[in-house]
Amino acid sequence: MDIEQKQAELIDHFVKKASALKGTILDPVIIEATSHPSLFAFSEILAVPSVVELGGTENSGYLDVLRLFAHGTWTDYKNNAGCLPELIPDQVLKLKQLTVLTLAETNKVLPYDQLMQELDVTNVRELEDFLINECMYAGIVRGKLDQLRRCFEVQFAAGRDLRPGQLGNMLQTLSNWLATSENLLVSIQEKIKWADTMSELDKKHRKDVEDRVEDVKKSLSLKLHTVSRPTLTSEGTRRSTLSLVE
Amino acid sequence: MASSSSSGLTFKLHPLVIVNISDHCTRVKSQMNPPVTSAANTTSNNTNGAGDGVVTAVSAAIPPPRVYGCVIGVQRGRTVEIFNSFELLYDPIAHSLDRAFLEKKQELYKKVFPHFYILGWYSTGSDAEESDMHIHKGLMDINESPVYVLLNPSINPAQKDPPVNIYESELHVIDGIPQLIFVSSSYTIETVEAERISVDHVAHLKPSDGGSAATQLAAHLTGMHSAIKMLNNRVRVLHHYLVAMQKGEFACENSLLRQVSSLLRRLPAIESEKFQDDFLMEYNDTLLITYLAMFTNCSSTMNELVDKFNTAYDRHSRRGGRTAFM
Repeated sequence: MDIEQKQAELIDHFVKKASALKGTILDPVIIEATSHPSLFAFSEILAVPSVVELGGTENSGYLDVLRLFAHGTWTDYKNNAGCLPELIPDQVLKLKQLTVLTLAETNKVLPYDQLMQELDVTNVRELEDFLINECMYAGIVRGKLDQLRRCFEVQFAAGRDLRPGQLGNMLQTLSNWLATSENLLVSIQEKIKWADTMSELDKKHRKDVEDRVEDVKKSLSLKLHTVSRPTLTSEGTRRSTLSLVE
Repeated sequence: MASSSSSGLTFKLHPLVIVNISDHCTRVKSQMNPPVTSAANTTSNNTNGAGDGVVTAVSAAIPPPRVYGCVIGVQRGRTVEIFNSFELLYDPIAHSLDRAFLEKKQELYKKVFPHFYILGWYSTGSDAEESDMHIHKGLMDINESPVYVLLNPSINPAQKDPPVNIYESELHVIDGIPQLIFVSSSYTIETVEAERISVDHVAHLKPSDGGSAATQLAAHLTGMHSAIKMLNNRVRVLHHYLVAMQKGEFACENSLLRQVSSLLRRLPAIESEKFQDDFLMEYNDTLLITYLAMFTNCSSTMNELVDKFNTAYDRHSRRGGRTAFM
C-alpha cells in the first residue's frame, strides 16, 4: 500500500506532463517515466489521450514500449526486440523488476532456475543481489530466499497494471474467498455449540453418577442398621458382609 | 464546575496509573472492613476486595473512603504523559497532603526515573469537589499547573468508558473575582508493551471463573469467529466495489485495482508441501498426546476400582480362612 502512495504523486506529475505535450515530444517523457526508479504503474499514463494518439502514427514504438512496461516481461521484449526502440539500462532494470512481479503473480514459490532464465542472469549470486537490492529494498516484493532449496518464497508482491480480462479473475477469487470464510464461520459456530453441548452432557452424567452413589449409600446404611444386632459370631458377620456386597 | 478545557494540552494516561489507583482504593476499603462489619463478612475479605467492598457498603451503608496520591510522568511540549503514581496520606485537619512524605517519595522516584516529574495528584470519588481545590493549590508550588485525576470507584456495568476523569485548573472570572476552577479535559490511553500484556491477561480472566475446558474452548473459538467475521465483512465490501466497477458504475481506479490484485496474490496464504507435512505432524502429535493422557486416566481409574474391589472381597475371604480353623 505504501508503494501506491509513493507512486501517486509521480503518476500525477507524469500524467500532467503527458497531457500537455503531443507527438514525438512525448518520447522523452515516456523514457523518463519508464526509467524512474520508483514508478511501477503505467496504466494512468496509458490512458492519457495524447499518448493513445501515438498509436496511430509511425512513432507507435514508444507506445508499445509503454504497453510492454505496463503488462509485459523481459522475455516479451527479447522476442520483439526488432520492432521496439532500444532501451536504456535504467529501463532494462525496471523491466526486469516488473518481470519479477509478473512471475510472483502466478506462483508463490519461484525457483532460482526459472528466475535466472526469465531475467537473463547466469549465476545465483547476481540473481540474489538483484532480488535483494532492486526488488526488496525498493519495496515491491517481500519474501524469503531459500538457498538450500534454491527458491524465492514470495510473501507480498506489489500489483502490476491490470489487463482488461484480469478483473473477472479477481472477482472470481474474491467470491471464492468470501464463500470459504463464510463456511469457516458456520463450522466454527457449530464447534462452539458442540463444545457447549458436550460440557452439558458431561455435567449431567457426572451428576447422575453422584446421585446413584448417594442412593446406594443410603440403601447401604439402611441395611447396616437392620443387620447390626445378630452379628456377634464371625459366621454372622461373614453372611452380613456377603449380603452387603451383593 | 467542569466544562471542557481550553489549554490545548493533550493528555496520555497509562493503564498502570488506573490499576494503581483502583488497587489503592480496594486495599483501603478491605482494610477498613474488619472493625466495622460482622464475622460473616470477614470471611469474604479473603476473596475479591472490590466485590466484598460492595457487600459491606450495602450492609454497613458507609461511602467508600477517598484515597489520595500523586501522579508522575513526563511533559514534552504540549503533551502530558502520565506514567506512574504513588499513594499519599491525607491529613483531614490541615486539609492537605502529607508534604514531607511526598518530598521523600519524590526523591526516591527521581533516583530511579530521572525524567519523571510530579504532574499532579489523584483521588477517588464521583465528582470533583470544592475541598479538592485546596489540595490542588497546595501542589501548585511543585508544578505550576497540576493535573487532577479522578477515578470513580462505583461499578457501573452499563458504562463503556473507563470511569477516569482528568481535570485541569483554569483561572476564570466569576462574579468579578478571578477564581481557579476545575475544567475536565479529554485524554487518551497510551500503552507500553508490558502494560498491554497485563491488561490483556486481566481482561481474559473472566472465563477461568467457570474453569472448565469447554468454556475456555468456547471463548477462544468465539474470539476467532468474530475476527473472521470482521475480515469477511471487509472482503465483501471490496467485492461489491469491484462488481460495481466492472459494471461501469464507478470509474476504474487503477491504484486501487493494483492494491487489490496484490492482496489477492497473497492467497492462498500457506499451501506448500512442507506446510502440509509440518501441520499433519503437529496434528498427529496432539492427537497422540490426548490419547496417551486418556489412557493414563483410564488405567488409574481401573487401578482404583481394582483396589476397592480387592478391599471389599478380601475381607470376606480372610474371614472365611479363619473360620475354617474354628
